[in-house]
Amino acid sequence: MFEEKLKEFEPLFYPKSVAVVGASSTSIKVGSVWVRALLSAGFPGPIYPVGSSGGKIFNLEIFPKLRLVPGEVDYVIVAIPRQSVLELLDDCAIKKVKAVQFFTAGFSEMGTPQGYRLEEQLLEKARQGGIRIIGPNCIGLYCAEHKMPSLMGKIGKTGPVGFISQSGGIAVKLIEIGIARHINYSKGVSFGNGIDLDASDFLQYLGADPKTKVIGAYLEGTRDGVRLFNTMKEVTKVKPLVALKGGRTEVGAQAAMSHTGSLASSAAIWSAMFRQAGAIEVHSLEELTDTLLIFQQLNRWQGTSAAIIGGLADGGGGISVSAGDACVERGLRIPPLSPETKQELGKLLGEVGSILRNPVDVSQAHGMATLFQAIDLVARDTIIDIVLIQEDIDILLPIYSWKGLEEINEFFIELGGKHNKPIIVILPPGSAEPERLQIEQKLLAASTPVFCSMERAAKAIYKLNQYSCWQEAQ
Amino acid sequence: MIKSQNVLTEVESKKFLKKAGIPVVEAKLARSKKETISISKKMGFPVVLKISSPDVVHKSDSGGVKLGLANATQVGKAYNEIISSVKKVYPKAQIEGVSVQSMAPPGVEVIVGMSKDPQFGPVLMFGLGGILVEVLKDVSFRIVPVTERDAREMIREIKGYPMLEGYRGQKPASIPALEKLIVKVSQFVEENPQIKELDLNPIFAYPDKAVAIDARIILE
Repeated sequence: MFEEKLKEFEPLFYPKSVAVVGASSTSIKVGSVWVRALLSAGFPGPIYPVGSSGGKIFNLEIFPKLRLVPGEVDYVIVAIPRQSVLELLDDCAIKKVKAVQFFTAGFSEMGTPQGYRLEEQLLEKARQGGIRIIGPNCIGLYCAEHKMPSLMGKIGKTGPVGFISQSGGIAVKLIEIGIARHINYSKGVSFGNGIDLDASDFLQYLGADPKTKVIGAYLEGTRDGVRLFNTMKEVTKVKPLVALKGGRTEVGAQAAMSHTGSLASSAAIWSAMFRQAGAIEVHSLEELTDTLLIFQQLNRWQGTSAAIIGGLADGGGGISVSAGDACVERGLRIPPLSPETKQELGKLLGEVGSILRNPVDVSQAHGMATLFQAIDLVARDTIIDIVLIQEDIDILLPIYSWKGLEEINEFFIELGGKHNKPIIVILPPGSAEPERLQIEQKLLAASTPVFCSMERAAKAIYKLNQYSCWQEAQ
Repeated sequence: MIKSQNVLTEVESKKFLKKAGIPVVEAKLARSKKETISISKKMGFPVVLKISSPDVVHKSDSGGVKLGLANATQVGKAYNEIISSVKKVYPKAQIEGVSVQSMAPPGVEVIVGMSKDPQFGPVLMFGLGGILVEVLKDVSFRIVPVTERDAREMIREIKGYPMLEGYRGQKPASIPALEKLIVKVSQFVEENPQIKELDLNPIFAYPDKAVAIDARIILE
C-alpha cells in the first residue's frame, strides 16, 4: 500500500545535499540556526548556506543566490521573509531542487487575503517547477537515520515510531520527549499549512515505510477531510496510528485558526472520524507520548489482567489500593492470583496481612533474594497478562542503597524477558529525583516501559489493548 | 422559519425515504377537514394528525400535532384545533393541510440524523430520542459512508445503549434493524448529495423492526 510514496519521498527524508536559504554571516538569523543544526547533527552530505550577506558561517561559504551553489541541491530549507519566496522558487527550478521546506510564515494562517493569495501563488509556481513544498509555516523533516535534525539540531536514537505534526512546536517537543523517554523515531515531519504535501501524504509515506511500525499524529484541521479519513483507514490496517486533535475546545479552535489557517471542526466529529478510521485518539501530548512509548515496546498486546506489585520495601498498602483504582477505572482488570501462586507466596512470606491479594504487597519479603522470588512467583502466574511494579525510590534508596537499587532494577529488566509478558515500572517523582532519573534511564534503555504514574501507565496499556482487539476483529 | 422551498414536508420526505427502502409510517396529506376524516377512516383508528407546512419547524410546540384520535368526531375537532393553533403561532405560514397517519404502538424512541461537516462532508448521528438527545447530548457520529460495522459501533457507543436492550419491562429494540436502517440512510444521503440535512425523529424501535415516525429533509 502506498509503495509509490517510498520512492517519491526518498529525496525528502534522505536528501544527498541541503541548502539553507536565509543564513547570514553578520547577524543571528534562523537560517544560521538551521545550518548549525545540520552541522551538529552530522548531516552526511554537503550543506550550502545561502544569504545576501555573503562571507562565511561555521566555516562554510555563504552563497548570495541559490542558483550560484556549485553542486546539486536535493532539498532546500527556507527561512527568509515571505516577500522573497516566489523569486526563490525560480532559483529552485533552475537548480532542479526536489523539495522545499518553508520555515517562513505569514501565509493563510494570518487569515488575510494577501496571505491566501501569496500561498496560492507559491503553490502554483512550485507545481510549474515540479517542486514539492513542505509548509509553509513549519519546521519540516526529521530523520534520525539520515541525521536530518529538527531546528534544535538534536538527533535521538533511530527506532520504529514515525510522527506527523501540523505544528512545529509540537514536533520539536515530540523529539525532545522522545530523547528523554527513549521513544525512538524513524521519521517525523511538521508540515504547517500543508499547501502541497499534507497530513495524508506523510501518513501514506509512513504507512509504507518499512522502518516505521507505529505512527503518532498531531492534527488541528484538514483541507481535505475525506482524503485524510480514507488514508487513515488504509494506514491503520497495517500500523497503529495514535492521533491527537488540537483545537477541540472553542478557545483551542480559535488558536488553531490563527495558527495554521485550518478550518476548525467540532471535536465530536473528529473523534468519530478517528474511531471510524481505526485510529487511537489521545487528548494530550503527554498521553500521545505515553501511548507511543507503549506501542514501541510492546507493539501488539492483548490482555488486560494486570498484577500490581507494591510495597517493595515497606507496607505500600494505600498506594497499592489507589494504584488498583487507577487501573480498574481505566479499563484494566486486577484479578485474584491463582490458588497455586497464593500458596507459594504464603509459604515464602507467611500468610499475613493482605499480601496474597492483588495488588500484591511484598513488604513482608525480607532481603533481596526473597523479594525477587516473590515477584517472580507473581509474574509467572498464567492468570496475569501484564505486571505493573510500583517502585518508590524515596523509600528504597535509604534501605537498599544505590547498589541495591541498581540490582533490583536489573532484576526487573531480566524478568521482562523471562516470562514473555510485559513488565512495566511505575516510578513516581519524589525527593530523590536524580537517582529516580538514573533508574528511569536505565530501565528505558533496556526497553522496559516506565511511567511516572499508574494512571498514565494504565491508560496507555488499555489503548494498546483496544487497538490489538480492534485489529483482531478486522 | 426556514426558507420554505428548501424544506420538504413530512409527507414528501417520507415518500423519498420509503422509495429508498427506509421504513417509515406512511403519511397522507389531507387538504380539508372532510378529506382528513375520510383518510382516517380508510387508515383505521387511532390516527395521528400533524400540521403540513414547510414553514413550521416545531410542529408540536405550535400545537400542530394530535395523537391517538379514536374516531371521526375526534379527528374533526383535532383538525380545527391544529389549523387555528398553528395560524396563531405562525401567522404567515403557508399551510397545505394536515398529514394523517396510523398511530404507531409505543417503542424505544431513537433519532437518526444527517448534517454536513465542512471538512468531512455528510455525517450521520445516532441517539436515543427525547431528553437524552436534547439535554444530555448522548449521541454518536460517523462519517458517510457508514458501514455495517460502523453502525454497530455507533449504536453501542452511546451511554444510553442499555435502554435499547430492554429496561424496566420495556421490550428490547432490534439492534440489527437499527443497524440496517442506519446503513440505508447512509446510502440514501450518498446517492442524494442535494440533501443538506435530514432528521428521522423519532424512530420507534421494536423487538423486530424500526420505523421512522416523523421525518424531515432539508435540501441545499
